Amino acid sequence: MSGAVQIVGRFADEYACADCIEKLKSVRGAAVKVFSPIPSHHIEHAVGKPRSPVRAFVLTGGILGIVTAIALTVGTSWEWNLVVGGKPIVSWPPFIIIMFELMVLFGGISAVLSFLLNARVPAFEIETGYSSRFSEDRFGVAVRCDEAQSGQVESILNESGAEEIVREAA
Amino acid sequence: MAAAVQDTSTPTFRDVDRSVLRVMEMPGPLYWVWVGFCFTLVGIAAALWIRQIYSGLGVTGLRQPVMWATYITDFVFWVGIAHSGTLISAILFLFRTRWRTAVYRAAETMTLFAVATAGLFPLIHLGRVWNAYWLLPYPNERFLQPNFRSPLVWDAFAVSTYLTISALFLFMGLIPDVANAREQATGWRKTFYSILALGWSGTDEQWRHYSMAYLLLAGLATPLVLSVHSVVSWDFAMAQLPGWHSTIFAPYFVAGAIFSGVAMVITLLVPMRKWLHIEDLLTPWHFDNLAKVVLLTSLIVSYSYATETFMTWYSGDKIEQMTFHMRYFGPWGWMFWVMVACNCVIPLLLFSPRIRVNLTALWIISIFVNIGMWFERFVIIAGSLAANFNPSQWALYRPSITELMITIGSFAWFLGLFSLFARFLPIVSMTELKEGITWLRKALRRDYPKAA
Repeated sequence: MSGAVQIVGRFADEYACADCIEKLKSVRGAAVKVFSPIPSHHIEHAVGKPRSPVRAFVLTGGILGIVTAIALTVGTSWEWNLVVGGKPIVSWPPFIIIMFELMVLFGGISAVLSFLLNARVPAFEIETGYSSRFSEDRFGVAVRCDEAQSGQVESILNESGAEEIVREAA
Repeated sequence: MAAAVQDTSTPTFRDVDRSVLRVMEMPGPLYWVWVGFCFTLVGIAAALWIRQIYSGLGVTGLRQPVMWATYITDFVFWVGIAHSGTLISAILFLFRTRWRTAVYRAAETMTLFAVATAGLFPLIHLGRVWNAYWLLPYPNERFLQPNFRSPLVWDAFAVSTYLTISALFLFMGLIPDVANAREQATGWRKTFYSILALGWSGTDEQWRHYSMAYLLLAGLATPLVLSVHSVVSWDFAMAQLPGWHSTIFAPYFVAGAIFSGVAMVITLLVPMRKWLHIEDLLTPWHFDNLAKVVLLTSLIVSYSYATETFMTWYSGDKIEQMTFHMRYFGPWGWMFWVMVACNCVIPLLLFSPRIRVNLTALWIISIFVNIGMWFERFVIIAGSLAANFNPSQWALYRPSITELMITIGSFAWFLGLFSLFARFLPIVSMTELKEGITWLRKALRRDYPKAA
């Protein structure tokens, strides 16, 4: 993007912020990034990204946990296959408990790891356009666009009720 | 909640930040005296444990046939305490219960430290603690592996999983809050919060993955919380011993765990609310709801006691009947009746809405519940072992000073860790409170457009 700029609008309200994101869809080629102190369904719907792939990671982790538990319980039972108390070497009912626990353990660890991976944290540098107010009480819309489109973007931000508009080099 | 909705002075995000971050300011000398006192007790308990490791379990009161007593009672008690945290943070999260937002972080913190405390007791209980790693499967030259048919191995897996998931859940919830604290802090605190915040900036992309991961963690933690105390109950129910061998143990233990855990949340939150001046965040409305959970679980626990008694009579099993006769009228009968008074009778006061919002009364009732639930575990564990199948073996157990001091030390360890957390990390979730405000504003807009 030659001559690109980043314009950041600050909003007091998530509804105004979501409204602004909807309007910005008319600006072709603009990349919109939103900052918010809380998770907001309105903003999420306005941004319109698909559902997080974290689900797939958790499912995979859970299945891996069950498979690991089967390998552990059945494998170690066969390794020392002595019948005790007339119980079968492979006793499924008690092994299901280990499978359940490892499913939860692996699924939970996968949830956190996949969040870190997908959200790209830990990050050594804070995202450009971020302001400390976006962790406190304000919502931010950062738009990367061509210099030529900046006027249109600024007018949308103004129209939507941005309290403050800051222009940064992209 | 109608009263709150009509209140036009809805707090702002800034108000929430101010209230919570104020708690994290540098504490005064009295706080350090308290923390020092707690960790001195922990030091005494640690010294006694070292002496026990050196001398052997002879320094405890454990003698045949009562080889499980105070330490295992402490273990079950602390695992039980841990349960309310996950109930409030995960189960009520899935049900989108509004009142949980102000109390869940404290409950979740309590969960983590309670499991960490509970996890010490199986180790303390071991005669040869240096062999504790035998519970874990690891490759070895003699192909010896844990017996996966044993409830003790299930327990090792369940409690370790619970500790890990609780820690992850707490850590995940903290990320946006410490990012907020990072912005306000200076000096070493800024560095500390910056590291914990992982460079969080609250972008839509981060929230998208965060919300999904948090939801799924809550979904995984919900059956986990039910499984952990069920597994703990099977440590007993799988044995043949009269007084232990019972099919109602799993639901009975889970209800008891939530009962004692929510009571402990109240025990901690009532003084914390006053000392940290967070009356505006923790309102009588929150305590009213917590009290209702205590009341409900008290009724379930009382029903379980009655069912146990009925089944003992109805089974016609003479040995079981004798065990229960000893439980009610034997030398430790007073403990059973203390347990009934604390767990079944005193909580009935919570039927009164006035008592539910009278925080002094509620606090006193919650302490009675804690006492009652400790006795319940002792009565089940040591009481059943003392009166086993063979009357010639029957013997009384008396806890030694080592066991009593280690028990006191465990309370000090738990309270010390909780106190440290409450002053240095956000003990109330700012993010979720702010989400609640958005809901409140929406309700105002919908129901009271003029006020909004």
